[in-house]
Amino acid sequence: MDLTPRTDGAGVPVRRRRRWAPMVVVALALVAGGVVVTKFLTSAIDYYCNVDEIGVRDGCDGDRRIRVQGIVRKDTLEKKDGTTAFTLEWNGKSIDVSYLGDPGGVFQECIPVVAHGRLDGAGFDSDRIEVKHTNEYQEKNKSRFDEANEEAAACSVSEG
Amino acid sequence: MTPTAAHATTGTPATRRLGAVVAVLLALLVMSGLWWSAEDVVQGSTVRIMYVHVPSIWVAYMAFALTAVCSGAYVSGRSRSVAWDRVAGASAEIGVLFVAVSLVTGSLWGRLTWGTYWVWDARLTSTAFLFITYVGYLAVRRLGGTLRQRARRSSVIALLAVLEIPLVHFSVELWRSLHQEASVANPNARVELDGLMLFTLMLGLATFTALFVWLLLHRQRVILLEDTVADRGLDEAIASRRDEAGAR
Repeated sequence: MDLTPRTDGAGVPVRRRRRWAPMVVVALALVAGGVVVTKFLTSAIDYYCNVDEIGVRDGCDGDRRIRVQGIVRKDTLEKKDGTTAFTLEWNGKSIDVSYLGDPGGVFQECIPVVAHGRLDGAGFDSDRIEVKHTNEYQEKNKSRFDEANEEAAACSVSEG
Repeated sequence: MTPTAAHATTGTPATRRLGAVVAVLLALLVMSGLWWSAEDVVQGSTVRIMYVHVPSIWVAYMAFALTAVCSGAYVSGRSRSVAWDRVAGASAEIGVLFVAVSLVTGSLWGRLTWGTYWVWDARLTSTAFLFITYVGYLAVRRLGGTLRQRARRSSVIALLAVLEIPLVHFSVELWRSLHQEASVANPNARVELDGLMLFTLMLGLATFTALFVWLLLHRQRVILLEDTVADRGLDEAIASRRDEAGAR
């Protein structure tokens, strides 16, 4: 039995028994990391196509399920028989979108959205809508003059 | 410094004063976030989540950066003091906590604005990866071995993991993301927050930073006490075996 007194507290083994819980957590972290990386490579890179890229850009073909980003054109939003219809536009191109249900979130006209679905003839049949919002925040209780300006500029979201 | 039994506490007059300052700042943040600042013209009251969400990820970035700095100091320093490793570990624990807060608040914010709790876009996916990486880092710290072994292996992981922070922060610039660009620290240096919204966000950043420092001071002292207890247990085991050997 080695009973040599320690000379340095930091150099002594403080825990000899095998610790299983941290090993399990490390293994789970590796598996979860793998899943997340896979998701990143298959979904996160170029999360969406813009409206003007449909059928033009690689990965934005019409024969597969795609995600399309654009701005809901003013005065095109129509809710009828449980269906929400609107026109999505980007860089001068537009597409009519049909969605069964209420998109939720802060969905409204003049706001950028990402629609998931498939091309259906000249239109787009969507089963999921996600609303984008910019990093611009404006107080609600501003003066009437500012509100009028907001309304006028409501659809002038910068495109790119 | 090894704490004595009489000194086995993590509080000092300075940390108590800092704790009081943090409490006052948190109270001010609640007041400003919930009452003084206005609703957003598009998001309404939902925007108030930002005052917790953004400061949380800010603290997480800061905590992981500090973990890397301390790990670098341990690896490159002549003394190889495990005190650096204790600060690194404490900082990482707090960072993981705040990434979790950021993910949860972001998920709630996403449900109310985007219409969904989660999407696999670049920002959310890379943040989830950051969280998992540091959970793994904390697990590796608990694998056992000597304090120096713990410090050495966790330092290597910390120095690699910190490279994820710019990836997470700039993910919204590098790839198309549902997540909006940064409100303050964006490449265009353009801040579009009205009046008290910007003030409240800045107050949140200051409050959470002070909270981080307060938590860090306490947590690294707790780790020191844990290490001391582990050492004492070993001392007692050795003394006990010496007694056994002497009795034969």
